[in-house]
Order: sequence, then structure tokens, then C-alpha cells
Amino acid sequence: MRRLAVLLAVALAAALGAGAAGAGTARPLVVALNLPSPGFQVGAVIGTRVVFARGYEVDLAKEIARKLGRKVELVNVERFASLYAPGPKPWDIALAEVTISADRDANVDFSVAYLTADQGVLARKELVPTPTSIAGLRGLRLCALRGSTSATLVSTTIAPTRKPALLTTMELLLDRVRTGACDAAVADMPILATLRAEVPDRYGPIVGRIPTGESYGVVLPQGSALKPAVDDAIERLRRNGVLGRLAKRWLALDVSGVPVLR
Amino acid sequence: MALAAPAVASATKVYFLQGEQVTGVDRPGTTVREAVQALVAGPTAAEAARGFETYVPAGTPIRAIAFENGVATVDLGERFVKGRLADDLNARLTQLVYTVTEVPGVTSVRVLIKGGKPLGLFPGFLVTKPVTRKAVERPAVPPPLPPPPAQPGQATDETRVLQQRLADLGFLDPTGVDGVAGPQTKAAVIGFQKWARLGRDGVVGPATSAALAAATRPTPITSGSGRRVEVLLDRQLALLVDGATVVRTIHVATGAAATPTPAGTYAVYRKAEKDWSVPFQVWLPWATYIVGGIAFHEYPDVPVAPASHGCIRVTRFDARTVYDFTPVGTQVKVLAVS
Repeated sequence: MRRLAVLLAVALAAALGAGAAGAGTARPLVVALNLPSPGFQVGAVIGTRVVFARGYEVDLAKEIARKLGRKVELVNVERFASLYAPGPKPWDIALAEVTISADRDANVDFSVAYLTADQGVLARKELVPTPTSIAGLRGLRLCALRGSTSATLVSTTIAPTRKPALLTTMELLLDRVRTGACDAAVADMPILATLRAEVPDRYGPIVGRIPTGESYGVVLPQGSALKPAVDDAIERLRRNGVLGRLAKRWLALDVSGVPVLR
Repeated sequence: MALAAPAVASATKVYFLQGEQVTGVDRPGTTVREAVQALVAGPTAAEAARGFETYVPAGTPIRAIAFENGVATVDLGERFVKGRLADDLNARLTQLVYTVTEVPGVTSVRVLIKGGKPLGLFPGFLVTKPVTRKAVERPAVPPPLPPPPAQPGQATDETRVLQQRLADLGFLDPTGVDGVAGPQTKAAVIGFQKWARLGRDGVVGPATSAALAAATRPTPITSGSGRRVEVLLDRQLALLVDGATVVRTIHVATGAAATPTPAGTYAVYRKAEKDWSVPFQVWLPWATYIVGGIAFHEYPDVPVAPASHGCIRVTRFDARTVYDFTPVGTQVKVLAVS
């Protein structure tokens, strides 16, 4: 028995060694998420380890990994801004509705875009009167996700007279709107539209959108050698219709009934 | 009473849905594990026939149960979060929290999925920390405001004549006779069409017009005395009856095919002007409960066919009328066939 165990251990070590030496293909692709976001990614975590997840970006991450010939390991990053801020990036790629911007590009690399987004304004229930312009938002208690382009839009374009509340997670942000602690949330339109479609009763209407023409990109650590392969994977997924299919399955992107706020 | 005591000591309550609310049923057992096992097992056939149902997916794996300092940790397999309908997910979470906090000593429940903390899996509840029953019960949105006054439309004699006819027959509240066509008149026309077994489109076409001209006031389906209500499941109507007279005939929507309103004879046991549906996280104005969580209540959407979780939906035009007509103790007969 004992000899067999030793032999097995030697064989196992050899196999592992060979695996590690032969290209990076055996190592899973570590994908960072920023849970939760309706339609895009929801799940369950033990510490940073994601034990269950579903959504548009979860499926997209798996599709990208498949094109790269890698398995996926999902990790959760709690602070949204740390995905693109300077600092260690203990993951290979990140998907979390991160808008591609020049500022952020100085700290990390971005793939080509996989989805475009405007900003939207979701009112709490029973908010009277319904704001119909950007000026109409100024006197409200506004909320946004800390570190997001929505938060920047609030402070620059909307410039509310009351200090806006910046929440650390989308879950806390939506809870504030639901309970009426915030009059309205400013957030990415695809997130709000999907939320309204999934949970029509608990929020007021999406009172409008503010066109910003943002693009979501996969985040990579600066100088990542994976960028060409990830770009190529996204382009192929767009061409073969997978991107569109995933969006249709998970997201509500029709904003035709939502007025533009000026 | 003395005989009942031992049974209570070894029993716990497991919560299923009945209409818009959770209702407890007794099950043997005293531990969190026994309670969760009974919850996953679902209602008995006899309970199902009385309108009890569960939103917990059958066969949900119970991975681990722990209990410490009043906090019960319940670790379930991912089947527990199967599907994406917010109502279903929130209803099953409500069932779980009520069931587990019924166990003596348990004050809150930490819900884990595959061992992990749920993030965004129950849209409408924050479950990143242990959840108390009180937190689940608390209304998550402010109560609805009264609707804005209707835009004054153009009154016509033709509409006034129609409304007077509907009011004389008991399908329209007399205060609704104003000559202006609108949603209240349409609801009354639908009520009449349901009674006359015509197409339910709310439009007075040739068939509806002829039937209206020939109609007499509806009469009660069953005999009885005093104030009572008959709910006609096949016609989707509620008759407010006093003695041998049908005071009002009201367009309602009862439970959908998957969640039917159970036929039977009940008595009003609880009333609330503004009530909150805990499992479905929605306000139920003018709620009149007849059994478990099954109630007459106002609802924005009252379609022409069965639609609810088991309750009896009433339009905002008639919700107050039904509420005022039915003090606690009023008999309500839910009839499958009329």
C-alpha cells in the first residue's frame, strides 16, 4: 500500500509539473465580477470566491474563456472603483459594466466594447411631481454608485442642490430607492431597464435617460498579454450572434418609451 | 385543552402561501432542520385543495443547518434560486424566514446558497445579513397615494343613459353616473358582459346593447338571509347581496389557473384599509380577508379573466364599496359554478 502511495504521489507531481510547464492553458481564467447588478450578474460568494453566479456577464465571461481554451474561475471584487483604479489586479479579466474611458485607460487596459449604454434615472414610488428635465432633478435626493460614471454625471451635469448619496454596491443603491430614502437613482440605463422589467412593482418609473453613449469593455491589468485574444473573442462573439443572444436572454434594452432628459 | 398540550410542544409551523399572504400549518418537529425539511416537502394534497401552495422548488437540497445565538444558518442548494421571477424568489424567501423564525429561540435567519452569501438573488430583500421576520414584514415601499383626479371629459347624453341603466341594474355605483365615458363605466360594462355571458371587451356593441335593454337586476345564486357576498368563479363577478336583493354586481378577477381561489363558504375575519402583502411586496388597499391570505382588495390591474395569486381583485372604483359592505363575520360564498 505504502509503496503504491509513493508511486502515485510521484506520478501526480510529474503530471502537475507537466501541466504547469505546458503553456498557460491548464490554468483557469480568473474573472473578476462586482456582484450584484440586475440581469448582468447576481450570485453567491464565500469571501471573494464566487460559488454561484448567473447573468449576461457571467455567460459572456464563459464564452470568452471558451474561445481562449480556458476554464473560468469567478472572483468577486467588492469595491467597484478598484476594478479600474491603480493597484494590484489579482485577476485576468473583469466584467462589471465598466465604461471605457481615457482616465481609466491610464491604469488598466480595456477590450473592444461589448455593449453600449446611456444613463437613466429611476424614481422611487410615489415621487410627485415626476421630473421631466435635468433641472427638475436638481432639488431631489439623488443616489448613485460610488466611483461610477453615473456618480460623475450627477456631480457635473446634474449638480444637485442636495448632496447626493454615493453607495458602495448596487444592492444598497436600489434598496435606498425602494424604501424611498432616495428620490431617484442615477445609473446605467441597461441596468435600470432590466431591473424595471424584472421587478415592476417596487420602484417608480424610469423618468428619463441622459444620452452619454458609453461603451462597456472587459477590464485587463495594464499591459496584459491577453488583450488581443480577448478582443478577438468578443469580435467573434459579436459576429456569430452570441452577444445579441445573451443580451436578449438576460437584459431589457428597449428604451424607446423612455424620454430623453435635457 | 390538556390533551392538546403535548401535540403543541412537539409541533412547529411551516408557512405556505394562501392568496397574497403566508399562512402557517402545523407539522411535527421542533428543530430548524425538521422545519426546513417540512417546508421543502410542500403542502399536503388536502392543503393544496384549500388553496395552500409553495414557491420553494421541490427537492431543494438542504446542504447544512447551524444554530447559534438566535441566528439559524440555512445553507441551500442553488435550486432554491431557480427561475428569475422576482415574485417567486421573494415569496419563497418569505416562506423560509417565517418557517425558521417559528422555531423556538430563532430570531433571525442567515440564508446561504451553495455555502455563499447571496448577492442580488432576491430582488426586494437585503439578505447579506441575517434576516428577521420583522425585516421581512416591513413594507418596502411607501403606501400608494390616491389616484390623481380624472381629467374632466366630455359628458354626453348617450353615456349618461348607458350609465343610468348600468346603475339601475347594480353594475355601476350611482355616483359614477356623470355622462363621461371612462374606466369606471368600462368596468361596469365588463361586469354586465360577464353576467350576461357575452364577450368581455367593455365595449357596448350590438349584442351588449340588446342584452342591456332586456336585462333585469341579477338575483342571488344561492338562498340565504341578511348581508352576504357571492363570488362567482365562472363569471368572475362578486354579488353584494342583502336578503333576496343583489345590491351590487362587481367585476373582479380571482386566482389564476396555477393559484385558484378555492370554492367554499367563508366568513370575513380581518379587514385593513391599507395592507401589505409580505411575500409579494405590494400594497393591498381595502383588504377584506375571508380565509388565510385570501382577500378582496383593490388592485390597479383587474383583467377580464382569473389572474391573481388567489385573492379577489377589485377595481379602485368598487374597492371601497366591497370593504364597507363586509364587516367582520360577513358570509362569503365562493361558487365554482353559477
